[in-house]
Formats: sequence, structure tokens, C-alpha cells
Amino acid sequence: MSAAESATAIQRNQVDLLDFIDWSGVECLNQSSSHSLSNALKQGYREDEGLNLESDADEQLLIYIPFTQVIKLHSVVVMGSEEEGPKTVKLFANREHMGFSNVSDFPPSDTAVLSSDNLKGKPVVLKYVKFQNVRSLTIFIEDNQSGSEITKVQKIALYGSTVETTDMKGLKKIEDH
Amino acid sequence: MVLEATMICIDNSEWMRNGDYAPSRFQAQADAVNLICGAKTQSNPENTVGVLTMAGKGVRVLVTPTSDLGKILACMHGLEIGGEMNLAAGIQVAQLALKHRQNKKQQQRIIVFAGSPVMHDKKALEMIGKKLKKNSVALDIVNFGEDDEGKTEKLEALLAAVNNNDTSHIVHVPAGPTALSDVLISTPIFTGDGEGGSGFAASAAAAAAGGVSGFEFGVDPNLDPELALALRVSMEEERARQEAAAKQAAEEASKEEKGGEEQDATMTERASEGASEADNKKIEIADDDDTSLQQALAMSMDEPTSSQGLQDTEMSDAAAEDPELALALQLSVQDSTKDSSSQADVSKLLADQSFVSSILASLPGVDPNDPSVKEVLASMQNQSEPQQKQDEDKAPKKEEEK
Repeated sequence: MSAAESATAIQRNQVDLLDFIDWSGVECLNQSSSHSLSNALKQGYREDEGLNLESDADEQLLIYIPFTQVIKLHSVVVMGSEEEGPKTVKLFANREHMGFSNVSDFPPSDTAVLSSDNLKGKPVVLKYVKFQNVRSLTIFIEDNQSGSEITKVQKIALYGSTVETTDMKGLKKIEDH
Repeated sequence: MVLEATMICIDNSEWMRNGDYAPSRFQAQADAVNLICGAKTQSNPENTVGVLTMAGKGVRVLVTPTSDLGKILACMHGLEIGGEMNLAAGIQVAQLALKHRQNKKQQQRIIVFAGSPVMHDKKALEMIGKKLKKNSVALDIVNFGEDDEGKTEKLEALLAAVNNNDTSHIVHVPAGPTALSDVLISTPIFTGDGEGGSGFAASAAAAAAGGVSGFEFGVDPNLDPELALALRVSMEEERARQEAAAKQAAEEASKEEKGGEEQDATMTERASEGASEADNKKIEIADDDDTSLQQALAMSMDEPTSSQGLQDTEMSDAAAEDPELALALQLSVQDSTKDSSSQADVSKLLADQSFVSSILASLPGVDPNDPSVKEVLASMQNQSEPQQKQDEDKAPKKEEEK
């Protein structure tokens, strides 16, 4: 898939998955209390450049996002500043309650190393086949661009599509590889 | 009512043999642990608590987080004192135990009893603190026992590294007459950041204070400080009056007698510890000595204030159990002062025996044919009648007789 094709694919059938996020279960480990995940995820806050999600004790962040229904994830947009924006981002599909200690226990569904283009808003296209039945997404931000103590994320947006006519119980049994 | 999983880290090192906390440091710690477990499970039934020891041969988990209080109390038995406390390892093992909790929705909390010197340096402790904060684990530190070479500093540094929005606390408990558990009851460690625990803290305070019902007057000072203050002031006034009355009652215990068993019955229903002693004496005396009834009535006539004081104590205790009765308490305090003046008038009414017997008949629990009641009637000077009515049926009866 060429870059041009993927860009149009985003416009065509992929929607912003903001509406399908189950906000009651959203968690973020190691976030600073004044700069929380809502600043990066929520409509309106994420467009505001002054409002960032910031890390607290060190530069890593672990974000857990459950969805209200099963979705297919196509691409993500992660925006941040040149120095303190995230660099290595690992995505885990359907892993609940991960901690910093078990991020290395199993391989991520996909890994993205963000370039400065990505940080300005260019979407990162993911391995679509790995994200076909996603009930929850865990985003592990491992380090940032300059290696500073604090990672700042301005915006996180998820693009994909919903799985129509889903039998929720049946879907839960399907293992994701 | 926060849903929480807690790991308590106990210090069972050699330093815990010391007796500067009664009865010994280790025993004081064990009592505190029991209280904390109870408080946590009471504030939210789904809370779990686990216990581990930090000294001895090594860090040992005695019980993994469970909501079964019996298991926790049982594991505290037969613990041996010895070795040196390993704070870092203890906290790390506690963190691991919490990570594997069954209900992932629970918040994680570690409570550390640091009674012996801390071997680790400040840096290491800060690293541990940061790791705890990163995994959103809250930490409560109870600093007691030995205090040396910057132990307080190190623990404060650890707390600063962990603390996220005041969810973590440190308490310094100096050695002294008050028990470790009593000091802890008033701290945020117990009260759960000022929200839930007042229910258990209430019963704990009751057990500690001995006989004071409810959470210091049944009102949480956090919720209603003015009411709590008013109740506390009136309680102190009653106590002062009660002491004076108790002295007089003790002096004339053999002679003082309130008319009828109804009086005693109502008194025993509502008496606190202090009043009940005097009351019990009266009950015994009623059974024993009828002939001194006349004398007793004469005595009780002469001291309306002391009997009133006792009455008011009972009422204030009743009010303590029910904050709505606090208003009634205020009323009765005012009314009883009025009563002493009106009693002169009332006694004239009482001179009419038929009137008295009709009133008695209308009272619940009074049998006019009871011999002791008849004797009381015969005296015609029974001061306790209006007071009886006050006890049994406060507001409406008072209005009736007036």
C-alpha cells in the first residue's frame, strides 16, 4: 500500500474512533495529575496546543483505552513537540490491565517510531491485520524524541472502522494474535 | 468508600522488643494492624488487606490480599521477633503482591510500619518511591520506635517521591502513654483521606474510650462541625454536673431513693457507665430498704439539682446516640431549670392524691397497685414524679403537667 493510497483510505472509510471510546475505563499510568489523558484524547482539548498529556515520574506512559464495541484499527495520529514528543510507541490490542513491568512480556501488536512528520499530524498506518477485532487498546510510550525526563503528548487520535453486526459474546472468544 | 487493596508491612525486627510503647512495640503494632484491617473492610466490603513481615529471615508474605478478617487476625499469631527490617525489599514485595490482586479495579495501597532504623540511603528510597508512583500505588508510612540518623528525613523523602495528590501520608508516633492504635485512629491513614472510615472509627473510638456511644456524639466533625462542637460543649457541662452529683450520690447512697421501679427502669435503659453505677446502687437499695423510702424522698426533695444533673446526663447520652435528640436536650436543659421553680407549684398539685394517682395510672409501665408506688404516693412530697414523667415521655408529658 503506497502512502497516497493509505492517506485516501483514511479519508474514505475510516472514522475517528473517538465516539467509540468507553470513557469509564480509560486509564493512564504515570501521567501528571495536572496534565492528564483527556488533554490528548478529548475533543476540543486535543486541538489546543497548550494542553498536553505529560508524564510524571519518568518519560514512559501507559495508556489503556477500552472501546464500547469491537473496532478495526487502521491508523493512529500522535502529535507532540519536536523534543518532548514521543518516539517509540508500542500498541497492544486486547490486553487488559497491563503494567510497566509486563510490557516486555509479550510482543506488541505493532510498534511505531514517530518521525517529526508524524508529530505534526501525519497518521501512522498500522498493520491492519493485527487490529481486526479490537476491544481495547494499550498504548505504551517508551521514550521521547530528546530523551528528556518528561514526555509531552498533545494529541492522540485513532482512526478505523467498526465491525458491523457484532455478536459481542462470540467476539470476545476470538483470540487476537 | 474507595475500593482498595492494601498490603500492610510489619516490622518484626529485634527493635520491636522495646517496651516504650505499651505493652511492647510489637504488640502495639499488632493492635494497630488489627484496627486498620477492620477499618478497611468496614469502609468497603470489597476491600482486601494483606500482611507481610519485613524482618526475620527475610520478607515473608503472611496473607495475600483478602477480605477475610479472620484469616488476617489468625496470621498475626505466633509471629517471631528477630532480625533486621529490610524496608526496600518489603515495599517491593508488597507492590508485587498488589500487582497480582484478583480485582484489578482496586486502588493499590501499602502501609508500612517503620519502627527500626532504615539501612537504605535516600536515593534508593526515592527510586522506590518513584516506581510506586509510576504504578499508581499509594503509600502510608507509620514512623515510630527508633529515631536516628536521618530516619525521619529518609522516610519524608520516600513519601515525597511517592506522593501523588496527597494520597500518601506519613505519621510520626512518639513514644508515650497513648497507644499506637489510638494515635493512628485520628490520622488520614484510618479515615481514608477524610471520607469513609468514620463508621469504623466511631466504633473503634467507642471501644477505646469505653462506653461513649457513636463517633463522638454521633456526628462526624467533618460533616457538621457546629453540631459536634455544641454537643461536645453540652457533654462537658453535663460531665461537670454529673461529677458533682455523683459525689453527693455516693455520700447518700444508702438513703437516696427515687420513687418506684419505673424510675430505675428508665434510668437503666439510658444510663451511661458513669450514671449507671449510681443507678445500680439505687436499684439495690430500692429492693432492700423500703422503710428508708420516706427519708430518701425527703433527701431527694432537698437536692433537686443533683437528681436533675443525673437526669440530664442520661438525656445527653441519649442525645448522643441520636443527633436529632440534641435539640430535645437543649430544650430539656432549659426546661429543667424552669422546673425547679415550677416544682413548688407542682408539689401543691401533688398534695391532691387523687390527682396524683390519676396521673400515675395514665403513665405507661406504672402499676398503681405496686406497694412501693403506694408508699411513694403516701409521702405526698414526691419530687421525682415530674422528673419521672420527663424521663419517660419528654416533651408531651411536660406540657401535660404544666
